[in-house]
Amino acid sequence: MAITDGSIRGAQAVGRTRRVKISPKYIPMALLMAVAVVFAVGNPNFVSPYNINTILVYAAPLLMVALGQMCAILVGGIDLSVGGMISFISCLFVVMIPRIGPWAYLLSVTAGLALGGINGLILTRVRIPSFIATLGTGGILASLSMLLAPVPVNVPTERQGLLNVVTGSFLGIDNSLYVGAAVFLLFYVVLRFLPQGRRVFYVGSNIRMAWTSGVNEAGIRTLAFVLCGLGSALSALTLSATQFGSNPYLGAPFVLASIATVVVGGTALTGGAGGPFQTLFGALMMSMLQNGMNVVGIDQYFQQSILGIMIIVCVVLTFDRSKTPVIK
Amino acid sequence: MNEAARGTAVPPALALRGIRKEYPGVVALDRVDLDVYPGQILGLVGENGAGKSTLMKVMIGLVQPDAGSIALNGAPIVLNGPLHAAEQGIGMVFQDGCLIANLTIVENLFLCHELQFRRRGLLSRRDMREEARRVLEQLGVHVDVDLRVEEASPAVRQMVEIARLLWLSTLYGRENPLLILDEPTTVLNDDERATLFSSLQRIKERASVIFISHRLQEVVDTADRIVVLKDGRAVAELAGPDAQTARIEELMVGHTFAADRYREHEQREPSPEVVLDVRDLSRKESFERLSFTVRRGEIVSLVGLVGSGKEAVCRCINGLERPDTGAVLLNGTQIQAGSPSEAVRRGIGHVPVDRRNDGLALAMSVSENINLLVLERLRVAGFIAPRLEQKNARTWIESCRIKTPSARSLCGTLSGGNQQKTVIAKWLTSRVQALVLDHPTRGVDVGAKDEIYRILRRLAQEGVAMLIMCDTLEEDIGLSNRMLIMKDGRLVKEVDCAPEHKPTPREIIQHIV
Repeated sequence: MAITDGSIRGAQAVGRTRRVKISPKYIPMALLMAVAVVFAVGNPNFVSPYNINTILVYAAPLLMVALGQMCAILVGGIDLSVGGMISFISCLFVVMIPRIGPWAYLLSVTAGLALGGINGLILTRVRIPSFIATLGTGGILASLSMLLAPVPVNVPTERQGLLNVVTGSFLGIDNSLYVGAAVFLLFYVVLRFLPQGRRVFYVGSNIRMAWTSGVNEAGIRTLAFVLCGLGSALSALTLSATQFGSNPYLGAPFVLASIATVVVGGTALTGGAGGPFQTLFGALMMSMLQNGMNVVGIDQYFQQSILGIMIIVCVVLTFDRSKTPVIK
Repeated sequence: MNEAARGTAVPPALALRGIRKEYPGVVALDRVDLDVYPGQILGLVGENGAGKSTLMKVMIGLVQPDAGSIALNGAPIVLNGPLHAAEQGIGMVFQDGCLIANLTIVENLFLCHELQFRRRGLLSRRDMREEARRVLEQLGVHVDVDLRVEEASPAVRQMVEIARLLWLSTLYGRENPLLILDEPTTVLNDDERATLFSSLQRIKERASVIFISHRLQEVVDTADRIVVLKDGRAVAELAGPDAQTARIEELMVGHTFAADRYREHEQREPSPEVVLDVRDLSRKESFERLSFTVRRGEIVSLVGLVGSGKEAVCRCINGLERPDTGAVLLNGTQIQAGSPSEAVRRGIGHVPVDRRNDGLALAMSVSENINLLVLERLRVAGFIAPRLEQKNARTWIESCRIKTPSARSLCGTLSGGNQQKTVIAKWLTSRVQALVLDHPTRGVDVGAKDEIYRILRRLAQEGVAMLIMCDTLEEDIGLSNRMLIMKDGRLVKEVDCAPEHKPTPREIIQHIV
């Protein structure tokens, strides 16, 4: 009862303040600009074309995995296996590329889709919460990547030409940025313009309503984890190509980084609210913060805490709390 | 008693003056005055949506009124919340109870006030047990106080809650506590009810009681004074023992006994074509084998008490539950049982009773909620076209007269009636052939009710077959072409409800009980 009243009050408050408030749509943009200005004042080189390129190149693989993570979060789940998935798929890619050439790309993407599907099926058929299910599969994948590549592996020089898709550049812009943009567009189109993608939001918003309205909620939740697998696979490809190799620990930092990126963007962990644009903002923000702190020369020891503070500040400013009555 | 309390100079223990509370689109309370006298049981009655629950929440500080004042023992007070109210000696026993099920009775009784039982800095469980036994025995309850609440009977749970409220008021030194009981009898059997009433008579010696119930006879028998709420206003006050249930009923419903409340003149004879055909359906422990049909453009109402199995029948038709035997046919083709997506795909819709949890995505927009079922239809060359989305949403917002600031407003911000219209619009746009409506007008204000009736009549004209369960018997009779009466899991009677010879509620009640 109290919760209902709270949400109504929240809604009223929104209605009342709407006239004086700038549309919340522009807050992320404004925030990004503000942070950029702060860093640029600290070191003018921060806004040099070279550094901007660095920021974007760093953001691209993060954006890909975060878009996947966002799908899992939108249906009310979470995917902790993205780290294991990135490690496994990138090792697989690097190990296989000397043997099967360009087919390694296809193999990796297929592996991502399949692994995401397995996560989805464990969630919906075996009925284990995604938090636990993906913790399990993530562990399995982490150890599989160590078996696959016990030591860091590299793409042999004669095969590095195959990585041009990612490592080359076109019109002076790194190819990995085109790849990132294409992946963003893909997720945007799926979630915005395809019925199946749309249903992700309904399922995340009210799964019981979706079920009683005839939505195949198990299928949609599985789809969300398949998309997460896809995002992880594409991220793995980009990472291993830009590094000309891989190691079994490559993916580990991306578990929390992807979740932080999604949340910083303004997608609710409770599911249903958020979207690709929010996650794009999140990835740019995270990348800019990490780069900016180095550029202005903030002590390594302080960087983690500043990042932590900024994550909380971003969520406070971007997350529309009137939409979710209970904060857990 | 009643005359004594009001005639002489006994001041009210709690006095509400001009209480007003508005929610988006609904005035829940409109200048309500209410006096609660010490040593009295006040009966509070009103239809669903009359404002009873909001008024109670105001009294325990869960809801802050937009206007009006509250005076406790003559002194004005602002109640900040249930804890603050409890400190003033005002407490409420909720309909569904609010004890913590996996804790014991003792633990629940003194929850958050355990520090009373310190001995040398440590909690003395022995003292707690003794005190628990004492306060419960005062109420005539003899029970193992170490029993976990989930193992206790509903009656005991209720008494534990009452005991807790009384104990708290003594703890805070309140002379005449105020107990609010929200439909306490619905969960009780006959014996337990009798016990509750006799303890209430004892409790009122040292407390004021507000007693809310839908069973008017109970209220008349128990209360010293009865206040009738209607559409957010206190419309009448009666002396308990002399009140007639029929009179109260009239006051609760108001002028609405007038003809054509349910738009009966728009009722049409349905076509002979059968749309929904239920054959030999049964489900263990819910209902026995039953068969019936609903024709094109027909409104069939399913009536029966709680436990008659009517809800389960509807759930089986919608695929939300799997029947043990029998089949549901739509236009002659059998529908795979136990699958809501199959039912929806074939054209059977479902307007649930709990629209906030089962009917809508509250955090999504009106437009998104309306378009859920027809996303495929809104595509151009395989992609959803925003233009078609907006057009479809706008069409239905207009057609169902959904009052919303814009199609993009979140459903959670709409009033109950407009939320319900959104749910119905969602099914209308999907071109359902049969629609199951589970209490479609619950918690909806009078104006919105009429709008919903209008939509239902139009649906009937368009040929949708409807199976409906209503809040009141009058509504069932008024809306339906035919009534099916269920009792103890069996279909016992079918009654024709043609507009010119509608049965009276009394005729129907005979078959229900």
